[in-house]
Amino acid sequence: MAASESTRITLVSNDGAEVHVERNVAERSMLIKNMMEDLGEAAMTQSVPIPNVNESVLKKVIEWCEHHKNDPPAAADDDSDSRKKTTDIEEWDQKFMQVDQEMLFEIILASNYLDIKPLLDVGCKTVANMIKGKSPEEIRKTFNITNDFTPEEEEQIRRENEWAEDR
Amino acid sequence: MRGIVPNMAPLNTDTPYRATPDPEGDSQSSSSNSPARADYEESDFYQGNNDSQSSIGVPTFQDMAVSEEVCMPPANRLPAEVLIGIFSKLSTPQDLLNCMCVSKRWARNSVDLLWHRPACTTWNKHGSICRTLSIANPYFAYRDFIKRLNLATLADGVNDGSVFPLSVCTRVERLTLTNCEGLTDHGLKGLLTDCSHLLALDISGDTQITEASMFTLAENCRRLQGLNISGCTKISNESMIKVAERCRYIKRLKLNECEQLEDPAIMAFAKNCPNILEIDLHQCKLIGNDPVHALLTNGQTLRELRLANCELISDSAFLTLPPNQTYEHLRILDLTSCARLTDRAVEKIIDVAPRLRNLVFAKCRNLTDLAVNAISKLGKNLHYLHLGHCGQITDAAVMKLVQSCNRIRYIDLGCCTHLTDLSVMKLASLPKLRRIGLVKCSSITDESVYALAQAQRPRHDRHGRVMRPDDPDYMVGSSLERVHLSYCTNLTLSSIVVLLNNCQKLTHLSLTGVQAFLRSDLEQFCRDAPPEFTEHQRNVFCVFSGQGVTGLRNHLNRRQTPTSGYDDPMTGADDGDDQTMTGMVGATALMGMNALNGDDEDADEELEDGDGGADGGVSFHQT
Repeated sequence: MAASESTRITLVSNDGAEVHVERNVAERSMLIKNMMEDLGEAAMTQSVPIPNVNESVLKKVIEWCEHHKNDPPAAADDDSDSRKKTTDIEEWDQKFMQVDQEMLFEIILASNYLDIKPLLDVGCKTVANMIKGKSPEEIRKTFNITNDFTPEEEEQIRRENEWAEDR
Repeated sequence: MRGIVPNMAPLNTDTPYRATPDPEGDSQSSSSNSPARADYEESDFYQGNNDSQSSIGVPTFQDMAVSEEVCMPPANRLPAEVLIGIFSKLSTPQDLLNCMCVSKRWARNSVDLLWHRPACTTWNKHGSICRTLSIANPYFAYRDFIKRLNLATLADGVNDGSVFPLSVCTRVERLTLTNCEGLTDHGLKGLLTDCSHLLALDISGDTQITEASMFTLAENCRRLQGLNISGCTKISNESMIKVAERCRYIKRLKLNECEQLEDPAIMAFAKNCPNILEIDLHQCKLIGNDPVHALLTNGQTLRELRLANCELISDSAFLTLPPNQTYEHLRILDLTSCARLTDRAVEKIIDVAPRLRNLVFAKCRNLTDLAVNAISKLGKNLHYLHLGHCGQITDAAVMKLVQSCNRIRYIDLGCCTHLTDLSVMKLASLPKLRRIGLVKCSSITDESVYALAQAQRPRHDRHGRVMRPDDPDYMVGSSLERVHLSYCTNLTLSSIVVLLNNCQKLTHLSLTGVQAFLRSDLEQFCRDAPPEFTEHQRNVFCVFSGQGVTGLRNHLNRRQTPTSGYDDPMTGADDGDDQTMTGMVGATALMGMNALNGDDEDADEELEDGDGGADGGVSFHQT
């Protein structure tokens, strides 16, 4: 591998674990990339704290970055991408996302914090696929969400948004 | 306040929610254009009032407490902008509605996605949407979420009454009312009043609309970027000047068939709107040279200029352009039937606009080989060329053109009656040629068709010899999709069979008026003649498209050499190829409103692609 050629940096998770990673892999995170630019040379010698992400999540995120380190940069035009609303996910990512719900949301939160847009996108698509075709009650069950509507409120929302019902 | 809808209970738009029992903030900052908000940095997450229970959302992460999140279901820890990111991946209104019903927090973060572009696709839905908008005290201020309104699918029945309830929506950015012939100023003015966010308005075909609406537009919609008033012949010049003066961000203008418009109206746009990208003045018959000159010289980014049937335009529109200036952005120029133009204008045009990609000079009958030689200078930039009815053109010019412009994908030389097999044999060598129009090039013979069938990457057999085209293994990667050969009266069955077998992507073949094909056994594969055709036209009509091409191919193969018949491996792909082609044509011809609306459903209109309008066979109907 080209590991020897590529600079390695050290990230520290919020539970104090040190994770060593190639710089170009870590820089899939725009947060880290910007941090590295700010720190300059110092980043090579110091470890970089990632205070919002624990070790297991950080390692999982790094695994994704490792696999996708050679992806072409996303088109600047986010708009056209999101317009398609596609929830297609490439096979490797699908497997990657086969984790318990706790971990799934942790990955999403971490990718949001670390600013890794393509990973956040995959996470959002995965959750969207879990929502598709489910009734509100099924969605609540799936994600353990409490219904805080009164029956009257829920009925009002249904009535006011009737046009959105399939029929 | 809006005078038009006195019976509407006014909503206090400053407090968008009636039901906000909890203090959590929501990402209400709707980005103005994107239906799904990918711009998380714009959300108020970063303004410190996010409703995230997640540690990650805490602005200063020193504050984060790991302990509190343990008892929370993980889904509840997602910050609003992530929830919105998830909801934006959902494609059906039903899924979004189900999310709205899950909890108050989910409702707040999905409601504006659901109402961003409410589906007025049936009268039932339209009625339901209007009912909700007229509720005095709705759960959400739905009216403020609506950014796009499109009544095109209901156009037939739309009248002022059907748009009144929608006039409470003052944040609409795209309003599409194509062919709503029942709509009058009364209804449209209501929609436009206070609609200061409007970016694009399409009222094409709304023939009752007058200047009254345009004055309202100019007064209220300063941010307008796209306007399509095609066919609105009651709109005055004066009102369009007002629009030009007030709506200075306009980029796309479609004024087709507004035969009432005169030079001052277009001059006003040229003067006041420096950002114009595309302007279509098809059939604005009163338009003269001055606006054309002004549009070119003032427009810093003009990309597409369509002047078909603007018959007053003459050479001086172009010859007066300053000598040392070029218009690098200009890609598409349509001068169909600008019959006064001569070679001098074409030479000047090519000099000043060296990056033209699509060029239409159909029916510019004065043009000669000199014009074609000038066009040849465009080299690889040229993809699309229409010279139908430029009857003076000869083989020499066409051969030179092909030599220089080898990326031509579409060429129409219909009614260029001097052309012979020499031209077509050269044209056949264009590697990307998809569509060729040779209607009424009556000198061409089977040699031309053989050339078209064979020229493209002929396969070699295992001895290195080029296979004969009638060899059953001779499968070429021909890119030809549409071939127009009507009234090429010398053609016979044998060359067409080879063309059919070698060009497996072929989706359109027209042979109207070719004696060899006026046979009853071929009729079953032929498309129906357009209803407006006369008896004589019906008798000679002979156009094969889509499955008809496949059917014709199989039929002729069975008939002639039963053993060498091809199964058509491309049948399944025909539609796709067809779309690719019309997609390309569409992309240019319809660029205006497609881009303008940005709605996919607005792009569904297909160009009439028969031998009628779009290609050189216009005359084809008339004989």
